[in-house]
Amino acid sequence: MAVIAATAIALTACGGGTTGPSGGSAGGAASLTLASLQDLKTFDPVDAHIGHTMPFYQAAYDTLILRSPDGKLSPMLAQSWEYNKDNTVLTLKLRSDVTFSDGAKFDAAAVKANLDHFKEAKGTDAYQSASLKGVEVIDPATVAITLNAPDPAFTYYLTQALGLMASPKAVGTAAIKTTPDGSGPYVLDAKNTVKGSQYVYTKRDGYWNKDLQKYNKITIKYLADLTARTNALVSGQVDAALLDPKAGKQAEGSGMILTKSQVDWHGILLYDRDGKINPELANVKVRQAINFAFDRKTILDQQFLGQGTVTDQVFGPESGAYVPALENKYSYDPAKAKALLAEAGYPNGFTLKMPTLAGFDAVNAVYSQQLADIGIKVQLESVPLANYVADMAAGKYSAATFQLYQGEPWVAINQMISTTALYNPFKSETPELAAMIKAVQLGGEQSDELAKKVNEYVTDNAWFAPMFRLNQMYYSNKNVTVVPQLQQAVPSIYNYAPAK
Amino acid sequence: MVSFILKRIGSGISVLLAISFIAYFLLYFSSANIARNILGESASLDQVHAKEIELGLDQPLLTRFFDWFTHALQGDFGTSWFTSQGVVEGLASRLPITLTLVGVSIICIAIVSTLLGMAAAVKRGWVDKLVQTGAVLGDAIPSFVLAIVLVTVFAIQFQLFPATSSIAPDAGASAWVASMALPVIALLINGVASAAQQIRSAVIKQLEKDYVRTLRSRGISETEILFKHVLRSAAPAGLTVLSLQFVGMLGGVVIIEQIFALPGMGALAVQSTTMGDIPLVMGVVLYTVIIVIIVNLVVDLINGWLNPKVRVS
Amino acid sequence: MSEPVEVRGQSGTVVRANVLVKILRNPMGLGAVTVLLLVVLAAVLANVLAPFDPNFADIGKTLSDPNAVNVLGTDSVGRDVWSRLVFGARTTLLSALLCATVAIAIGLPAGLIGGYYGGKFDSVANWVTNVLMSLPGIIVLLTVRAAFGPSVWISMIAFGVLISPGYFRLTRTAVQSVRNELYVDAARVAGLSDRAIISRHIFSVVRAPIIIQTSMICGVAIAIQSGLEFLGLGDPTVATWGVMLNEGFKNVYLNPMLLLWPALAIGLTIGALVLLGNAIRDALEDAEKVKVSKRGKGRSTAATATVRRRPERSATESVEAGTEHHLIKVSHLGVGYPQADGSVKKVVDDVSFHVDRGEVVGIVGESGSGKSQTAFSILGLLPDAARIVAGSIQFDGTYTVAPNDDRVSQARLSEFRGKRISYIPQEPMSNLDPAFTIGYQMVTPMMRVLKITKSEARARALKLLDDVGIRFPQKTFDAYPHEVSGGMAQRVLIAGAISCEPDLIIADEPTTALDVTVQADVLDLIRDLQKRLNVGVIIVTHNFGVVADLCDRVAVMQNGRLVEDGRVRDILRNPQDPYTQKLLGSMLENKEPMTMLVSTGAPAGLPDDDKAAAL
Repeated sequence: MAVIAATAIALTACGGGTTGPSGGSAGGAASLTLASLQDLKTFDPVDAHIGHTMPFYQAAYDTLILRSPDGKLSPMLAQSWEYNKDNTVLTLKLRSDVTFSDGAKFDAAAVKANLDHFKEAKGTDAYQSASLKGVEVIDPATVAITLNAPDPAFTYYLTQALGLMASPKAVGTAAIKTTPDGSGPYVLDAKNTVKGSQYVYTKRDGYWNKDLQKYNKITIKYLADLTARTNALVSGQVDAALLDPKAGKQAEGSGMILTKSQVDWHGILLYDRDGKINPELANVKVRQAINFAFDRKTILDQQFLGQGTVTDQVFGPESGAYVPALENKYSYDPAKAKALLAEAGYPNGFTLKMPTLAGFDAVNAVYSQQLADIGIKVQLESVPLANYVADMAAGKYSAATFQLYQGEPWVAINQMISTTALYNPFKSETPELAAMIKAVQLGGEQSDELAKKVNEYVTDNAWFAPMFRLNQMYYSNKNVTVVPQLQQAVPSIYNYAPAK
Repeated sequence: MVSFILKRIGSGISVLLAISFIAYFLLYFSSANIARNILGESASLDQVHAKEIELGLDQPLLTRFFDWFTHALQGDFGTSWFTSQGVVEGLASRLPITLTLVGVSIICIAIVSTLLGMAAAVKRGWVDKLVQTGAVLGDAIPSFVLAIVLVTVFAIQFQLFPATSSIAPDAGASAWVASMALPVIALLINGVASAAQQIRSAVIKQLEKDYVRTLRSRGISETEILFKHVLRSAAPAGLTVLSLQFVGMLGGVVIIEQIFALPGMGALAVQSTTMGDIPLVMGVVLYTVIIVIIVNLVVDLINGWLNPKVRVS
Repeated sequence: MSEPVEVRGQSGTVVRANVLVKILRNPMGLGAVTVLLLVVLAAVLANVLAPFDPNFADIGKTLSDPNAVNVLGTDSVGRDVWSRLVFGARTTLLSALLCATVAIAIGLPAGLIGGYYGGKFDSVANWVTNVLMSLPGIIVLLTVRAAFGPSVWISMIAFGVLISPGYFRLTRTAVQSVRNELYVDAARVAGLSDRAIISRHIFSVVRAPIIIQTSMICGVAIAIQSGLEFLGLGDPTVATWGVMLNEGFKNVYLNPMLLLWPALAIGLTIGALVLLGNAIRDALEDAEKVKVSKRGKGRSTAATATVRRRPERSATESVEAGTEHHLIKVSHLGVGYPQADGSVKKVVDDVSFHVDRGEVVGIVGESGSGKSQTAFSILGLLPDAARIVAGSIQFDGTYTVAPNDDRVSQARLSEFRGKRISYIPQEPMSNLDPAFTIGYQMVTPMMRVLKITKSEARARALKLLDDVGIRFPQKTFDAYPHEVSGGMAQRVLIAGAISCEPDLIIADEPTTALDVTVQADVLDLIRDLQKRLNVGVIIVTHNFGVVADLCDRVAVMQNGRLVEDGRVRDILRNPQDPYTQKLLGSMLENKEPMTMLVSTGAPAGLPDDDKAAAL
């Protein structure tokens, strides 16, 4: 049932890693069992992907930089880092007391091996190394990374897939796909691990940071099905799981504790701003009319049980590009919508074809209804899950419902606004916007601030029809305390601790 | 006997060949976006294109099939496009689970349906009515509806059984039995319904035969007639329906495996076909068909053995 | 003794009612037809019955309970459940029909051609069938879906292809069974074209199984489709029951009733389809569901027999004084079968005779005279439906059917059967269990009844086989029934009948099924054994020649009544009853006339001169 829904939700991006609540004796208590929406692809860092599968990697590998639950960066394998003047060279100072599972030492050469391989392998998150030009070993504890252009998100990437450090001996081998070789707080227990079902890790002896090691054993169970996940949580088979608002009702009934965080924005992406398929959409008034057509609050209450926040912009409050004034730009005003359509020359509306998935069928039914109310007839076309993203990216549809990452502005811009963005299939662009984007890229410390301009532009010009920021409904039982990870689908492995 | 087996193996191989091609042919139409899905949404078009060439997706259908086939003959089913795990390896870890589930279910169905079918055929009257009504009800309820009810009532409400069946391989036998109980019961109801009806008919038919009356006239007890003679002659009908159920179940467990999060072949089938992971799907299809062919062969051999006309010749 | 039951003309015969009427008479069939009719009506009239478009989403009213506007409430996006249910009925039923149509369109012609002509087409079709049946169904559907999209119609076409082998096999079997019937040959000879033969004769045979199968298949199709949709693999823009089930499941903690309606719809429809298939099958098999009531309801209360007890309830009664010496005494026996309308069809009516030790008595009559039923009453091997409606049977001084029993006492008879009363059946081949060797079937009863060891029984069996004239006893002992000829099998059965040294042997037309040349031998054998072992024999036959050959006395039966009995010589020479005369007169077999009609002294053809001399 919710195989598709879950996967659809999980198609989005998030990231981060951090230290959990402090205190708690070193060497941790008993064990922790988590439920995961997605299955681990392989243990090779080049296959890592921000979001749901990060905990699998975080257990076995360390990253160069650690991301706290609140998004701030702190030292991990890299003790300090610094850009040069024009933000094209990042120099990192590394720890020298870390060894990998196979005994190899962690040093600058290891960093180079990992980063070079990551770039060359063109894995799942290859975009993270897009701006990487070269890596130079200065000395065993110092490495200099050269970028071919300033990349405001680069240090963020070093907390993600790009930053996962594997033993140089294992990098690029076939073995690492099935057996991790890292320096992380836990080691894989191959005997009890069943691929596609559950992954068991045990405490690594002599780990260099006792604060991050809260448990003796961690088990991650792959439970794609929402019902199975809910049942597992409620019956005590797992300690924590990501559910949805409706399943959450049952979890709450069984005494589970809810931890909320907002990660994605949900809404309709109005791709066809140049009117290639739907000439009507080229007119900004039409797109604005669409934004006025939705009773966001009611939809949120009914479809998501009120779990989220209504929004009119695609950048989140913690992103730095958030503009509070934009939040009430598009209220629910069907009359105004119709007026705008008439002004644009479409008093009788028009027809719009949109793809739909099993996971989105409920909301799409509502959206169709509300658009019909202002005269836009929506034809929904069922698309198999495997083709949904690909079809959108290929420009088959002029608009589609989706959920996207709402975090680091530079990442978000590259994901849906720039001309190379996957979710800008028609490569819409204007000179003013291009200039703003460039400014963000070169902005250095001011990047986030400059991104506000981009935000205002796309919101004023109704590039999208955002609806709300949904709450991630993360439930856990009484034995666990957990802190959500900013802009990451699930908490990092470091964010769990035994309850007192 | 030997020639019979050889002939069956021969026809089995031709069936396998046909099925491989049909499956590959069908999958060919779903392979349009695979490269993109493997690499994820952030990959560039160049990367996607490179991946397509790497996977051979730009080749014509027959070339690709032939390539796959020659490898398969050598036992090399390739690796999953998505997880890079060897197909054979991946299947080997999943097969036992599904086979256990299906095997245990079939055995339970065989025992229960034989008892019920025989009771209905011999006793007639209210027992017969009860069994027939039960059979209709059992047929009418789809197994997945039953599974949901079972999970909700017995696992959540009363906490008698684990809600999901993903337990560690080293968990004890009793834990394993507990985790299998609900899925087996869900499959049982449907299976017993139709098998009991078939066995009932077969037993009734045998009881009407002349030799039964003659055996009675010779002073043989009803019990001996029933269990030694009638059951033996009714067995082929029962075996046939059970083997059909086995084949059907290999596919039908898909839903059950989803509901109980069993990491079996069914779950793998859904995932891999949804994502378009061709090597894996081909592996699943082939393994399933091979099992079906073997089971059918075994059933035919047993039926042949039971029938002296065949056995002696 | 009870009064004889009036046989009301033809009321005993079952009227061949219309199949449809039969289905409707069956309560399950009636229920099924009703449900299906309602569902079909709902589907056809969906546009009228549904107040809302199935996809109309009123977000002001999500998850509402049943009310005046939405009779079954609304789902999570405010769509009317009732409207979706009836439109869903349309889609669900149509898709099931599509599946069945595709399956029939492929399977039926293939089965007709393959079954009728055989040959290459048949082998190819069989191979294709194997392929299709080995394909894992759901996996194929998943693959088709991945390739061609989640459309209901495409899935059902694919599924139809997958299950066409079922129809192919069904049709082929039916065709093959009929193809060799004589009337088809006759039609061919008469010059009918193949197509005419197929459509006229074969089609009618095939019709019924196909209809039953279709009923079942539609149920399966609905289940499969709902299952896939439930997994979320359907087309969410089309309202079907499976999609509703999926939706209901997602909201199960908010409003469990949403799950109830589609589940009910699916369950009821599939159940009705299955029941309908069963009802059609039952109606076609003429299986009358006879309610055997003690009082016997129905129009003719006067015609019903008085109530008789079950044998266990009658205390061990003692027989009439003076009759204990008879081996078998049948007194005013009446046997009948209760009919659906409460009347009782009598097959044996007021029959009385006796058999003493060492006597050979023949029971003669045409088919339907009740002679076999009388014999089975003595053996206690009547069908379950039979009832003793009058009279009694005693064996060697003990009642096996006491005067007020309504059934033969199995308790007593199981003691006697095999040991003291044995049976030689008519058709040798069908009376041996084909799965066991002849030796096994001889040895086991001896072990059970005589309580001897296996080796003793084996020795006895071999000797018996020799006694009955089998040339190579050991070979026959080790053989399976299908490996011996009819004559040998009959000898084996005779050997079996005497193996436990019974007092009474009942032979039911023992030579009818044999070749003429073998008949005389077997009769000689029986006569020989009878003389040697001094057993009483009852021979049931329609052949007066056998009677003349073997019997001391004879009883003639007609339509369940005993019309005449007496010593064989007397009856043959001087038959009193007109029926007996007619029977004798019509014996135009290629034997010499028995000269009984016109009494000219000693019957010329009597082979046993000893017997003649003794008279």
